[in-house]
Amino acid sequence: MNPMDILAVHGPRFLQGLGMTLLITGLGALIAGLFAPWLALWRAQGGAVAQGMLRPYISMMRGTPLLAQLFLIYYGSGQFRPELQAMGLWPFFREPLNCAILAFALNSTAYQTEILRGGIMGVPRGEIEAARAIGMTRWTLLRRVVFPHAYRIAWPALGNEIILLMKASALASVVTVYDVMGVARQVYQKTFDFSALLWAAVIYLLVTGIFVTLWRQSERWLSPHVLAMEKRARR
Amino acid sequence: MERLLAFGDAGWGDEILWGTLLTLELAAVTLPVGMLLGFFSAFLSMSANPVLRAIGWAYSTTMRGMPELLTLFIVYYGGGLALNTGLNWLWPGMSFEISPFLAGVIALGLVFGAYAGEVLRGAFQSLNPGQSEAGMAIGMTQRQIFWRIKLPQLWRFALPGLGNLWVNLLKDTSMVSVITLGELMRMSQVAVRTTKEPFFFFLVACAIYWVMCVLSEMILAKMETRANRGIIRARA
Amino acid sequence: MTDRPVLLAEGIHKSFGDLHVLKGIDLTARKGDVISILGSSGSGKSTFLRCLNFLETPDAGRVVVHGEEIVLRNGRPANTAQVEKLRRHLGMVFQQFNLWSHRTVLENVMEGPVQVLKKPKAEARDRALALLERVGLTHRADVYPAQLSGGQQQRVAIARALAMEPDAILFDEPTSALDPELVGEVLKVMQALAAEGRTMIVVTHEMGFARNVSTEVVFMHQGQICEQGEPARMFAAPATEAFARFISDTR
Repeated sequence: MNPMDILAVHGPRFLQGLGMTLLITGLGALIAGLFAPWLALWRAQGGAVAQGMLRPYISMMRGTPLLAQLFLIYYGSGQFRPELQAMGLWPFFREPLNCAILAFALNSTAYQTEILRGGIMGVPRGEIEAARAIGMTRWTLLRRVVFPHAYRIAWPALGNEIILLMKASALASVVTVYDVMGVARQVYQKTFDFSALLWAAVIYLLVTGIFVTLWRQSERWLSPHVLAMEKRARR
Repeated sequence: MERLLAFGDAGWGDEILWGTLLTLELAAVTLPVGMLLGFFSAFLSMSANPVLRAIGWAYSTTMRGMPELLTLFIVYYGGGLALNTGLNWLWPGMSFEISPFLAGVIALGLVFGAYAGEVLRGAFQSLNPGQSEAGMAIGMTQRQIFWRIKLPQLWRFALPGLGNLWVNLLKDTSMVSVITLGELMRMSQVAVRTTKEPFFFFLVACAIYWVMCVLSEMILAKMETRANRGIIRARA
Repeated sequence: MTDRPVLLAEGIHKSFGDLHVLKGIDLTARKGDVISILGSSGSGKSTFLRCLNFLETPDAGRVVVHGEEIVLRNGRPANTAQVEKLRRHLGMVFQQFNLWSHRTVLENVMEGPVQVLKKPKAEARDRALALLERVGLTHRADVYPAQLSGGQQQRVAIARALAMEPDAILFDEPTSALDPELVGEVLKVMQALAAEGRTMIVVTHEMGFARNVSTEVVFMHQGQICEQGEPARMFAAPATEAFARFISDTR
């Protein structure tokens, strides 16, 4: 078949696949994004207990393949079906989609925590001391000084992490989630038309390209003071 | 549990061991391919020729913007397709099956090369130009300057990034199980199918990957110390 | 034949973009000459020195070293091998030393003879040790450059240049990156080299060296040679106002 025909016939399914890819990536990144700042703070400033708990978690998440983590959660949970049923959790683990999102969130939390820890450690000491000197409470200090700074430092790396997560989300197709990769594999198995895979590549590249552009834009919006400097330099 | 990991017909210990060795073999064979592509990519992106630069950019952007799994599929199915079309044109009736191992080496090598290209370009740009000038000043050829000055000094800047890429490569080999290469991940799945013990076997697989990654990191730390020789701050 | 200049430069021009840095510089160095090139920063003296061994390519002019002229074509040396050959005859000592950080002191000195001149390792090693003794650093032969003080690094760099047995040595502000208390040890080595009749071209701010050690002083100003001659005469009676101002400012 002509590559255009593949798109004409299967285009809508690819579009659904795109929706699924964005959903699992977005939810995974978002859930991780909710936990990571607190874990990062704990990791940057916490004592021996915090380190003792977080380090092995982060090391294991970063030292094992996401595919293995996904299999462990999806197939592994099947082994504990009675226990999970008793807890009312079985309906959650039965769905490959839920397992994929859970695996991605757990994995991305580890990476985002490390990235944000770097950001927190990069906040100039003097600015923290200045905030303490005017009597800011700990919470205000975090909200007004530490996190705004840390996110600005970490923002490019966080963007990279989201792209890596989007690429990794293709693994969900292995446990029968129909994201872009899943749709491409399905169409290829049905038609043996190689262009199905190439269309998937085009979609992924477009998504990455658009995401990179938007993220860069947001970087500028996050750092108005840098923008102001650039303007002055140009003048 | 010990029974499950026994060697011989009774347990899965030997299968898991062979799978692990194949994982290591795949990563080890891919590494030089990826490094070579990485140097190519770095040279392309630093070239004075805009066409070569564009080629370098296109390679690096595609490989870094596409899921590794998709690259693997494209190489496995498309590579076979392209190869056979070519062979058929040259020798009608000839056909050649691209093996999962070869597809893995090519696909993971392409991915490694794209990221390594960025790491190496950054490292080249971090080199102190005075070091090369000193080579020029005694009449070294460009080739000598590359091999005797730039390359040995490059590792100091490139090793941390390349080390990360090696760990990623080790983990990415697990994807080649999807196109039926009998490496660690695949062997675990085979064991699971018979024993119905998914949690145990995937946990074992995770543990093995984790040990390989942690060991790699320890070795890399040693190598970084070595690459930094001569840079110690101490003043006599 | 003995009167053939070691190095001859004629009408050297060099621009960086709109900036015309060198506006026709001539220089002749004969065997045993110690020529100090003085000038305020921005006068083009370092650029001129770097044009002599083609670390910068002059836009126009001729450079003749070892009786051979470097041929320029379209603003580049026509033959890179010829430039590499020229560089073997001209040693260079840099402001920032530029010792190879991944090689020990001894390896730094041996590198040129072994890799470029293809001398046997044992011979190069003996010679390198002898040169290190001359600059007083035999005991530091096996350490890395980062473990040395700036003054020691510069002495190694001088030994490295000498190891090539060059016709002449170019010094690019060899003491400018050093702490004041370390300048003396480097100048002492340079003075000893001058005393044994080495041909040296030295871009420097060290007025004492220019006046007492060199055989000729060249004063550059705004990309041109403003005044040139025997040091005693020049310092006693500057012929130009620019040079007079320069010595009174640096005093």
